[in-house]
Amino acid sequence: MSNKAARNLFIFGSLFFFVIFLGLTYDTMGKLDGRAPEITEQINAGKMVWHKYDCIGCHTIFGNGSYFAPDLTKTTLNKPKSYLRQFLMDPKSANPNASMPKLGIRAEEADDLIAFLDWTSKVDTNGWPPKPILAAAGGVAGKELTEGQKVYQSHGCSACHTINGIGGTTGPDLTRVGAKHDRAWLVGHFKDPAAFVKNSAMPKVEAPETDIEKLTDYMLTLK
Amino acid sequence: MSVKYQSQKIAEYFYTFAVVLFLVQVVVGIIAALQFIWPSFFILNFNTIRTLHINALVVWILTGLMGATYYVVPEESETELWSLPLAKLQFWATVVAITAVVLGYIWMGLSPQANSPIMGINPLNEGREYIEAPRWADVLIVISVLLFLFINFMTMLKTKKWTGIQGTLVGGLLVLALMYLPGMVYSKSMVKDQFWWWWVIHLWVEGAWEVIAGALLAFMLMKVVGAKREVVEKWMYIEVGFVMFTGILGTGHHYYWIGTPSYWLWVGGIFSSLEPVPLLFMVWDAFRTTREARNVENKAGLYYTVAHAIFNFVGAGLWGIIHTLPQINKWTHGTQITTAHGHLAFYGAYVLLVMAMIYITLPSIRGVKSFNASRAFQSFWWMTISMVFIVLTITGAGMVQVYMERLMGLDYVAVKANYNLWFWIIRAIFGVGFLIGVGIFVIDFFRLGKEPVPVVTAAPERA
Ligand code: HEC
Ligand code: HEC
Ligand code: HEM
Ligand code: HEM
Ligand SMILES: [Fe+2]
Repeated sequence: MSNKAARNLFIFGSLFFFVIFLGLTYDTMGKLDGRAPEITEQINAGKMVWHKYDCIGCHTIFGNGSYFAPDLTKTTLNKPKSYLRQFLMDPKSANPNASMPKLGIRAEEADDLIAFLDWTSKVDTNGWPPKPILAAAGGVAGKELTEGQKVYQSHGCSACHTINGIGGTTGPDLTRVGAKHDRAWLVGHFKDPAAFVKNSAMPKVEAPETDIEKLTDYMLTLK
Repeated sequence: MSVKYQSQKIAEYFYTFAVVLFLVQVVVGIIAALQFIWPSFFILNFNTIRTLHINALVVWILTGLMGATYYVVPEESETELWSLPLAKLQFWATVVAITAVVLGYIWMGLSPQANSPIMGINPLNEGREYIEAPRWADVLIVISVLLFLFINFMTMLKTKKWTGIQGTLVGGLLVLALMYLPGMVYSKSMVKDQFWWWWVIHLWVEGAWEVIAGALLAFMLMKVVGAKREVVEKWMYIEVGFVMFTGILGTGHHYYWIGTPSYWLWVGGIFSSLEPVPLLFMVWDAFRTTREARNVENKAGLYYTVAHAIFNFVGAGLWGIIHTLPQINKWTHGTQITTAHGHLAFYGAYVLLVMAMIYITLPSIRGVKSFNASRAFQSFWWMTISMVFIVLTITGAGMVQVYMERLMGLDYVAVKANYNLWFWIIRAIFGVGFLIGVGIFVIDFFRLGKEPVPVVTAAPERA
């Protein structure tokens, strides 16, 4: 091949692939709005707050960004908004172990951010992040669940709490909680956490009396 | 031996700024690494430190490449630069703009409210990875790059010697400048935001910058071993051609999970897994051309050139292909695996490239024929061994993270704080090793050609 032929291959080949790329880009732009909820003023305001505080400098969103802190694409699916609001404004008040700094986020900024994160959680991401595929994830590992464990699962307590190493790190570890509190405290705390712990970031457990009892029984076995 | 055209000496200005920023980059990198162990280790939070780390990196690579271009273009065009004063102005304007941006980041880090939008625009930090520079700085950067391209283009017009090397080099730089523009539009949708953001990031490092690397590789092979222009230019076209054929549609490997249609899984998977092929060509090219070279005067230059080709392939090619297929990327996306790849790829492809260009062009800028290369080798081994271990460590952390967080469903914070703690400690230790290597390089940069060459290491006269 002559040098000139090689050069032409480079130039025209590159243009060829770039044109295809432009075509795909055009097609994609037409499809994006159908894959995500409509963007309201508040969602856009939340995105602006996201940029203002440089959240991407610690977190990822859609898996892109920095790997110092958890991905936030689907956060609002797992954590109640009241909790997120308190956390964003003052992380340590919600979780004394938090290492996210208090950035000075105001109340309405926190609401906007939550609206924005709610939007990202509803974008069709082709199934990312994937569901864990190993048994340990459910905390089941082949065993039959007790009544209390079922309530614990259905209320998503493990998004915030760890038992035997499994679950979230937002709230305290519950592996030995049965040795720490009595039945009355637990029942009362479930119904209104803030009445028992000042500034508690735990949401009230909205469940029928029988479920609260089952949950309390389960907690008391954790010693 | 001295430069053929006096204006080529402008390259040293750019190199000096690049070398200083390199040192800054690595020092803040170590602070970032320590913050993984103690999050509140420093007055500035992790996000600001990381921003400084990656911006210093990108800016010093770019200034290094600008310096190299100001050296190459007069040499290829066989004439002085079109306007040296204008080139100096471009240099100082760049330094001032970058310094202002850095001060802005630090200010924002100390008081985030200072970044509150003014007329809808964040004045200090755009809050988008790698392109954090605020809009006013974007404009200055574009002006600076356009001025830079203009000066080089006018130089080429003076003699109209359109060599393949300088055509490819300046062409790559032009694409680089154009690809900065998609990052300057605001989008209300985070999906579109990331879509265009990848045009900048991916089409830079896996498109325009690799084209520039291919052109400089050809130049360096001619310089250090006297390879024939005919041959190196042909291979250069083939290499950079395949970079573009695979790299453009390879952008799809970033469009798997950000809300884009699923056909990108096919497009990205197929084309990006071919991206290592041209990088392998470059390794082969470097070996084939240098294998039979005798009496190489600039041993350090040769060493860095070949090392660049090898580590470009290992870091970008191998560490890229391991996580580029959608079936694997689904699990590794956004984990420490990405960090491991980012480090080795940038180090191999661009850090070593700029260093090789410095070792090849600086001796003649300083007017010396030969120099003592021992510090160049020392710094190479300190840096390379440390970087390889940083990358292996972080690959290990990434594998633990993928297994425990993504496959078992354990909590992100638990994995980071408990299971991966030792990896963070080891990374920080090797980071210090890397800093030692950089320190040796910085000393070498400032002393090269300014101290007498011991007789024994002076290369023999070429017949
Ligand atoms: C300096 C780094 C840093 C910055 C900047 C930062 N975060 Fe965080 N964030 C963290 C860390 C680390 C965690 C993990 C929990 C902890 O240790 O605090 C976290 C946790 C969170 C959580 C809780 C996630 C969960 O699943 O419980 C949310 C929500 C959050 N961050 C949102 C934000 C938003 C929104 C911004 C920008 C306004 C932001 N963060 C900026 C470091 C940061
Ligand atoms: C949004 C996060 C969140 C969710 C969901 C959550 N908690 Fe909590 N929980 C916390 C926080 C924060 C605390 C610490 C403050 C407090 O004691 O009220 C806490 C405290 C507790 C305590 C007291 C622990 C101690 O050591 O004193 C128990 C018991 C408890 N939670 C059980 C539960 C159960 C059962 C569920 C599910 C129905 C649940 N939590 C859901 C956040 C949460
Ligand atoms: C010199 C060339 C390259 C450089 C400098 C480079 C650098 C990077 C960097 C810094 C990132 C992280 C971006 C972020 O912050 O989100 C990244 C991501 C990625 N790179 Fe490269 N890269 C190069 C070449 C390649 C090649 C050739 C491949 C494939 C064969 C590849 C595959 C990937 C993939 C799949 C990701 C996404 C990782 C994720 O899903 O989190 N890269 N690259
Ligand atoms: C020339 C050498 C280096 C290069 C080219 C480099 C490059 C980069 C890049 C591209 C990123 C962004 C990563 C990504 O998005 O994947 C990054 C992040 C980072 N770098 Fe470096 N770096 C270098 C040296 C160092 C050193 C010596 C250290 C310290 C040990 C270090 C510590 C870090 C840390 C802690 C991060 C943040 C990673 C994260 O978010 O998880 N770097 N670096
Ligand atoms: Fe890429």
